[in-house]
Amino acid sequence: MSTIPFKHKMAAHCESGAVTSLLNNAGLDITEPLVFGISSGIFFGYFHKMKSFTFPTFIVRNKPGSIRNNLAKRLGIKFHTEQFRSPDEGMKRLDELLEKNIPVAVQVDFFYMDYLPEWERVHINVHFIVVAGKAGSKYIISDSYFPNLVELEPASLRKARFAGGSMSPKGFLFYPESIPVEIDYKKAILKGTRKACFNMLKIPLPFLGIKGIRMFAKKIVDWPSFARDMEHLSHEIMKINILLEDQGTGGAGFRFMYASFLQQGSLILGKPEWSELSKEMMEIGDGWREISLFASRIGKNRELGPDRLKELGNMLTGRADVEERFFRRLKNSLN
Amino acid sequence: MKEKDSIIDCPQQQVILYVEKEDGKYEPMQTGSYITKNFLDDYELKRRHLEESLKKQVLSGEVSPIYYYMVLEDLTLSELSARAGIRKGKVKKHLDGFHFNALPQETLQRYADVFNVTVPDILKLLTADTDDSTNTNTGS
Repeated sequence: MSTIPFKHKMAAHCESGAVTSLLNNAGLDITEPLVFGISSGIFFGYFHKMKSFTFPTFIVRNKPGSIRNNLAKRLGIKFHTEQFRSPDEGMKRLDELLEKNIPVAVQVDFFYMDYLPEWERVHINVHFIVVAGKAGSKYIISDSYFPNLVELEPASLRKARFAGGSMSPKGFLFYPESIPVEIDYKKAILKGTRKACFNMLKIPLPFLGIKGIRMFAKKIVDWPSFARDMEHLSHEIMKINILLEDQGTGGAGFRFMYASFLQQGSLILGKPEWSELSKEMMEIGDGWREISLFASRIGKNRELGPDRLKELGNMLTGRADVEERFFRRLKNSLN
Repeated sequence: MKEKDSIIDCPQQQVILYVEKEDGKYEPMQTGSYITKNFLDDYELKRRHLEESLKKQVLSGEVSPIYYYMVLEDLTLSELSARAGIRKGKVKKHLDGFHFNALPQETLQRYADVFNVTVPDILKLLTADTDDSTNTNTGS
């Protein structure tokens, strides 16, 4: 069957990783931090109560799908996208594309990625992988979170592509259709950064952007009321570490990768002040990393009384303060 | 974060971190997961306790195996309902031991698909003898 010569590379994040690797394989030399920055990937949102989550949670990136969408708009790249009503149709279409040697990114429920260890796998419908061919009946997968190309059973891929529930993939797939010969990176970087500043500073909702970090800081002391018992609370507090570090962020809730974007941007734009800003973002990231380590430690030691949670809240408020100043300065640097 | 501070030896789970290299550039490096390296045993301990306590609840008839997997896989009622394609009101009934017993094979299969297990896996929870893979440390 089809084996497409596809260069696999691990990446910090699944969506920016899948988009970057499809573009790299199609001949465009672009890095993951540039993809992430141009598409205004950096973000924060806190969700205290939601129908689809069993516990309060937070996000550190923009809405799934926006990385591809924003990047396409800002660089003039055209992605072909499709969704399907019937799983049969969706799987057939994928096979047809692979027959034509086109590597295809698909949206899946992370839970069914059998090649990953069990403790990593959770039901979340917005994981992106690249299907890079077939070996017999199995699919060859390039997953940003796995070191090598790996095989997946058709039944697992089918379940994953057609899982129901919130943000259900409905077999969504995409691949780059056309890439412009000349790309104006300067304009795209400025636009992506302006939007990121708006998202962090100006969205008039109390749980998004910097306001979201402040809400998280305030509400974390209420977390025990959602927990079944101490072990459940410990698990959820330790998940803060996983969401900031392990679930595809490049470390420190994407702050390290954003620092890398600013560093690359400073060279492309010829803006030395961005080099300073990138250093500052790296330090902001170090603070987030401290939060991750602190959360995993108090979780492991079951030190989860009000004092400890308040301490964690104060650390989060500290991040909100520095990020608020940072994004104001970044915004001013655009004028 | 500097590259030298980011090296974590954890072959079971690799991640990409963006770090400061020696030449001052911020670039990706492949390393191990901090939390898996240091705290996987704690995760597994909590998971085992949760499984045991849920299993007890199933055996006492308080809850059904559907509830067991729903909690274990961290799904809300509305998420499970949407994923299995079964109305919320019905799913709610299926969570208690009494209503569960009358479920047809086809409905069980729908749940099994969502949980990524087999129907026999679900039914096995109703029998008292725990399977040998989980109780190796309870013998003596």
